[in-house]
Amino acid sequence: MLQFITKRTATLLAAVAVSSFAVFLIPYVTPGDPVRKIIRSRVAGDAVDESAVRGLAESLGLNDPLAAQYLRWLGDFFTGDMGLSFVSRTPVAEQVLPALTVTLSLVAMSLALAAAVALPLGIISGLRPGSMADKAITAVTQAFIAMPEYWVAPVLVLVFALKLSVLPTAGWNDLSSAVLPALTLALRPISFFTSAVRAGIIDAAGADHVAAARARGLSHAQSILRHVIPNGLVPLSTLFAVWFAGLLGGSVIVEVIFAVPGMGRLLFDSVINSDIPLAQGGVVVVVALAVGVTTLADFVHRFLSPTVGDSLA
Amino acid sequence: MSTPLVLEDLEVSLTRDDGGRQGRPLLSSVSLSVDPGEFVALVGSSGSGKTLTAMSCLRLLPPQLEITVGSIRLDGLDLVRATEPELNTVRGGRLGMLFQQPKRMFNPNRTIGHHLREPLRLHGGLRGPKARAKAVELLEEVGFSDPVRGFRAYPHQLSGGMAQRAMTALALAGQPEMLLADEPTSALDKVLERQVLQLLDRERRERGLGILYITHNLASVAAYADRVLVMNAGSIVEAGPAHELLIRPKTAYARDLLAAAQLAPESRRRPSSAERDVLVLDGVGKRFGPRRKPGGAALDDVSLSLRHGEILGVLGQSGSGKSTLAKAIVGLDAASAGTITRQLDGAEAQRPTAVQLVFQEPHSAFDPRMTLRASLRAPLLPRRGLTPAQREERIAAALAEVELDAGLLDKRPGQCSGGQLQRATIARALLLEPQVLICDEATSALDALTQRTILNLLLRLQRERNLSLIVISHDMDVVRYMCDRVAVLLEGRVVEVAETRDFFAAPRHPHSRSLVAASIPCRADGLWTMLDARNHAARAGLERQAAEG
Repeated sequence: MLQFITKRTATLLAAVAVSSFAVFLIPYVTPGDPVRKIIRSRVAGDAVDESAVRGLAESLGLNDPLAAQYLRWLGDFFTGDMGLSFVSRTPVAEQVLPALTVTLSLVAMSLALAAAVALPLGIISGLRPGSMADKAITAVTQAFIAMPEYWVAPVLVLVFALKLSVLPTAGWNDLSSAVLPALTLALRPISFFTSAVRAGIIDAAGADHVAAARARGLSHAQSILRHVIPNGLVPLSTLFAVWFAGLLGGSVIVEVIFAVPGMGRLLFDSVINSDIPLAQGGVVVVVALAVGVTTLADFVHRFLSPTVGDSLA
Repeated sequence: MSTPLVLEDLEVSLTRDDGGRQGRPLLSSVSLSVDPGEFVALVGSSGSGKTLTAMSCLRLLPPQLEITVGSIRLDGLDLVRATEPELNTVRGGRLGMLFQQPKRMFNPNRTIGHHLREPLRLHGGLRGPKARAKAVELLEEVGFSDPVRGFRAYPHQLSGGMAQRAMTALALAGQPEMLLADEPTSALDKVLERQVLQLLDRERRERGLGILYITHNLASVAAYADRVLVMNAGSIVEAGPAHELLIRPKTAYARDLLAAAQLAPESRRRPSSAERDVLVLDGVGKRFGPRRKPGGAALDDVSLSLRHGEILGVLGQSGSGKSTLAKAIVGLDAASAGTITRQLDGAEAQRPTAVQLVFQEPHSAFDPRMTLRASLRAPLLPRRGLTPAQREERIAAALAEVELDAGLLDKRPGQCSGGQLQRATIARALLLEPQVLICDEATSALDALTQRTILNLLLRLQRERNLSLIVISHDMDVVRYMCDRVAVLLEGRVVEVAETRDFFAAPRHPHSRSLVAASIPCRADGLWTMLDARNHAARAGLERQAAEG
C-alpha cells in the first residue's frame, strides 16, 4: 500500500512538473518577443525604444539560463506570486482564486446532480438489461450525448427563465443562478455515468460469486445490495475523477453563456486578450487540481477494489 | 434429527418464452438419495447434468431452466415447492454447497471474513465479535495456520488450495447436514486435493455430514465414496456401492468412463538416450519485477534437455513455475537469465515457430469473435509463399490430423465443446510444422473421457511426425501415461529428473515422494490398494488428532 502511494504521488509530481514547464515555455514559443509585448501593452504607438527592451529584459531576469528562470518562476508561483495580469495589472492569484472557487462549486454541483440521477437509472437498467425500463433509460441518456451545451443552455433559459420565469437567465449570485448552468453541465456526465453504472452492474451481477452468495442463503435482494451494487459501482470512481478534471477547465461554453465568472471563462478571456501570465496561472492551477483529483480517485479505486494495487506491484 | 436428501423422478427442462417446454429435458427421472454420514459420488462426463442436479437441489437454476417434474425432499420439506424465504434458510444452512474454482466464487472486493459473516448471521444468528470468533475458529478447523490473517485476507491473496479451504469453511459455516460438493478439487493439484477431501471426510465421520460429491476424478471416488452414481445425458444410468461398481460396472457407459480413467502406460518405443538433443535449457531464470525478494524468482537456474522424439514430462504443483517455463521456451515471455538453445534441422527449423505451444484453457486460447477458420488461418498469413487455396488445404489437412470435422471451421469458439477446441488448438500448433510441441496442462480442463482421447491424439501425432514433446502437468496420471522422462519443478527449480518408470518406482527428492504418494493409483484393479489408502488416511488423521489433542 505504501509503495502504491509513493508511486502514485511521484507520478503526480512528475505530471505537474512536466505540464508546468510546458506552460512556462508559452511566452517563449508564441510568436513575438514577450518584452516587446509588455512594452507595447503599456505605451501607445508602434515604435519601441530598444534600450527600454534591453533594460526591461535585464530587470525581469530574461537573460538568465532557461532552467534558472523556470525554477524562479515555479518558486514564485507556489508561494502565491503568479505575476501580474497584462490586462488588469492586478496579481494573477487574485483573479484565479475566486474563479476557481466558482468553478469548483459549479462542477461539484453538476457532478453531484449527475451522480444522483445516474446511479438509480444505471442500477435499474443494469439489473434488468433488455427490459422496457432499460431501453427507455438508455435511449434518453444516450440522447444527452448528442445535445451540445450551446444548444441545451439556450433551450433551458427559454423554458425556465423566460417562459416560466422561475430562474435567472445568467449571472452568479445565489443558488438559483447556479441551477441552469449546473443542469446544462450535468447532462453529458449523466449519460456517461448511467452507461458506466449499467455496464458495471451487469458485469457484477453475472459474476460467479453472486450465485455462490445465493447458495449461502442470501436472498436475491441481499445478494444485490451486498455484492452486485458495491462491485458494480467501483468503475465509477475513476470515471467521476476524469469528468471532474475535464470540467474544471472545460466548462467554458456554459460559463460564457450564463456569464458565470469561472475558470473556463477566465482562461478563455486570457487567451483572447493574450494575457499570458493569467493564462499560465490558470492552466497550472487547473492541471495541478486535475492531476490531484485523478490521483485521489486512484487511491479510492484501490481502496474499493483491493486486487488493483497488488496486480501492479 | 438428520434426515436424508431424497430426489425423486426429477426432470429439468428448458422453458420457452411463452412458458412451454422446449426440446428434450436436460434432466429426466433423476432419483437419488444421500443419507446422513454417507459419501456419495456422482460421476459422468462433462455436460451429463451433474452440476445441474446440484443446482436444482438449491433451486438456483438459470432463469431459462425449470424443474418440471419430481420432488427434492429434505426433512419433510419439498424444495421444489418451497417458497423463497424457506429456500433461503435451507441454502447454505442445512444444504451447503462447495464450488469448483473457489477463487471465482469469492467477491474479490471483500475479505474472507466478510464472506464468513454472512452464513454465520443468516443461519447461526451470530453478529459482531461472536461471528468473528466463530469465523476464525472455522478457518482454523479447515487448516489455516494463521486463521486471523486468513480472516482479514482478500481472496486474491490466497493460494488456490487455501481459497478452497476457505470456501469449505464458508460451506460449513451454516452447519449443513448435507453438502453438495461440485468438483471441489478439480482446480487443485493432487496434494491439495487430498487435503480437501480428507477435510470433508472428517466432517462426515465426526458430524455425520452427508456428501454428494460431483467429480471427474475416479481415483478419489475409489478412495472416499461409499456409493457411486453414474450420470449420462441427464439420467442416472448406473448406481451401486463404490467397490462393486468400480470393479464390475454393468453398463457400457460406466465401463468407458472407467477405462478412460485408467491411464495405463502404452508400450511405445522409447527414444534411446543416444538421440541428439533438440532443445537445451541452460541456467534459465525468470523473475517478475525487480523488487521481488531474492528467492522469489518464478524460475531459478533451470537446466534441462529434450531429446529428439522424446516426451518429457514437467511435474509441479500450482505456482511452481511450469507455465512460465513453457512461455520462456516458446519465446512468448523471454527468460531473464540463462540460454535456451534449439538444435533443430529442416527447412522450418530456423523459424521461431518451430516450437509451438498448446494452451491450457482451450476456450481462452481462441478469439471469441473469430470463426475457427479465421483463427486457424491467422498463423499462415505471414507465409507469403502460400496461395489462399494452399492455406485452406493446409488447414483442412491439420484438421483431418486432429480428427475434427471440417464443418466446425465456420463456428465460433462459444459454439464448440472443450474437447473440440483443444483439438483445434493442437491443429493450429501443427499448421506451422513444428518439431517441438509444448503442452501446458493441455488436458486438465477436460473430463476423463475427452482427456484420454486428446492424450492418445498427442501420442499418435508424436509417433507419426516424430515430434519432441514437453508435457507440463500437475496430473501424475497424465505424466505417467505419456512421458519417457519426468522433471519435477519446485518453486522454480528442477529438483529431480528421472526416467518415468524409475521416478514412479523410487522418487528421490522429498517433494517428488510427496507427489507420488499423493497420487492415488488410478486403476480399478488396484481398488483394494485404494481402499487401504483410505483407511490409512483415516488412521493418519485420527493419529494426528490424538497427537494434537
